[in-house]
Amino acid sequence: MHRLSPFAALLALCILQPAQAQDRASLPQPGSGQAAIPRLSDGKPDFSGVWAGPGFGHKPDGPGDTDTPLVVRFDRKKMSPFKPGGEALMIRPLTGDVMQDDPGALCFPNGLTRQLLAPYSQQIVQMPGRLVILYEYMHFFRAIPTDGSPHDADADTTWMGDSVAKWDGDTLVIDTTNLKEWVFDSTHDEEGEGSRWHSDQLHVIERLHYLNPNLVAYDITIDDPAIFTAPWTQNFQMMRHPSWKLFESICEENNRCEAGKCTVSDIQKNNNSK
Amino acid sequence: MKAVRILLATGAALLTASAPALAHHAFTAEYDQTKPVSVTGTVSKVEWKNPHIWWYVDVKDETGKVITWGFSGGPPGMLMRRGITKDVLKPGDVITVSGFRAKDGSYNASGGSVVFAKDGRKVFTAGAEDTVPKN
Repeated sequence: MHRLSPFAALLALCILQPAQAQDRASLPQPGSGQAAIPRLSDGKPDFSGVWAGPGFGHKPDGPGDTDTPLVVRFDRKKMSPFKPGGEALMIRPLTGDVMQDDPGALCFPNGLTRQLLAPYSQQIVQMPGRLVILYEYMHFFRAIPTDGSPHDADADTTWMGDSVAKWDGDTLVIDTTNLKEWVFDSTHDEEGEGSRWHSDQLHVIERLHYLNPNLVAYDITIDDPAIFTAPWTQNFQMMRHPSWKLFESICEENNRCEAGKCTVSDIQKNNNSK
Repeated sequence: MKAVRILLATGAALLTASAPALAHHAFTAEYDQTKPVSVTGTVSKVEWKNPHIWWYVDVKDETGKVITWGFSGGPPGMLMRRGITKDVLKPGDVITVSGFRAKDGSYNASGGSVVFAKDGRKVFTAGAEDTVPKN
């Protein structure tokens, strides 16, 4: 009979830790300081910088300017009730086909909603009338007018959708439509749910406003009338990391065990074939 | 090389543990949570690449044959946000690493963390979901 090594026991303890979504009690508090927030020449808040979004715990995890990446999923308890048939549209039992169960494992894009919660950094480049978000993960981007422009009536249905923004005081409100039916978040059957998907009727509203010069309240409203009876909102935070820069992220570079079939590395060929 | 130990751990704690959910893909898309493995050997190569780092460990079995195991860790960027850099593992390091075998039964596995033989130091190498072992 095999015995469990101390290390294996440690690993077991580690992986028993549940994925922790951001929650208000564990997040940094805005503080009472009245330091001025960054503003553009037009007086609007300037969100330029490299940020750790909802996919981080916003707690240092080592020396220096570090943070704690997390696998964050939308909270089922925040969601509105399903419409008749909505649950079957969203919650899809595993099929054994990776393209259905987890297309990210094949290096397909996250799509907007999963990307918003991903544990990778993002850089915002802002100027009067426009804001660009550069996502580290697979180099996705969003170029968003902030001058109240309407949606593009001819926009295709895409993974990241068509985003426009306007100001509500010092709050930036980003409105996104034209999203293709795709994976909703990083749910991977952890609770027997299979995968979660959104419909092509999804409409996402993001609201950003400063809590202090390096901390932003980030609220995401999910309006998917094919699935839910009403829109619902989950609240997150984003933390600026002054020393961070974006890293390159090429998913195809070394995806060695795609769909469970591992390629043999050169160094393994030397030994394992003898 | 340090005496080699290949432990196909079948302890209840591991078998009932939830498999890690990786940021890039579902754990179960590539690894078998019912097949934990723990090996001790010498690091022969480190690939600090996306979407996950890989490191290779030369492990001698009971007959003296050397097998090169591959272990997959977190994405490079995710580790660096934690302050873990690419020199954390180097060829020649003697380590113990545990994980779960690839679904195809090859000498590849997920790798959650590493313990160095020379000083017992633990290094976290996994994805976003795990807690960093504090040294």
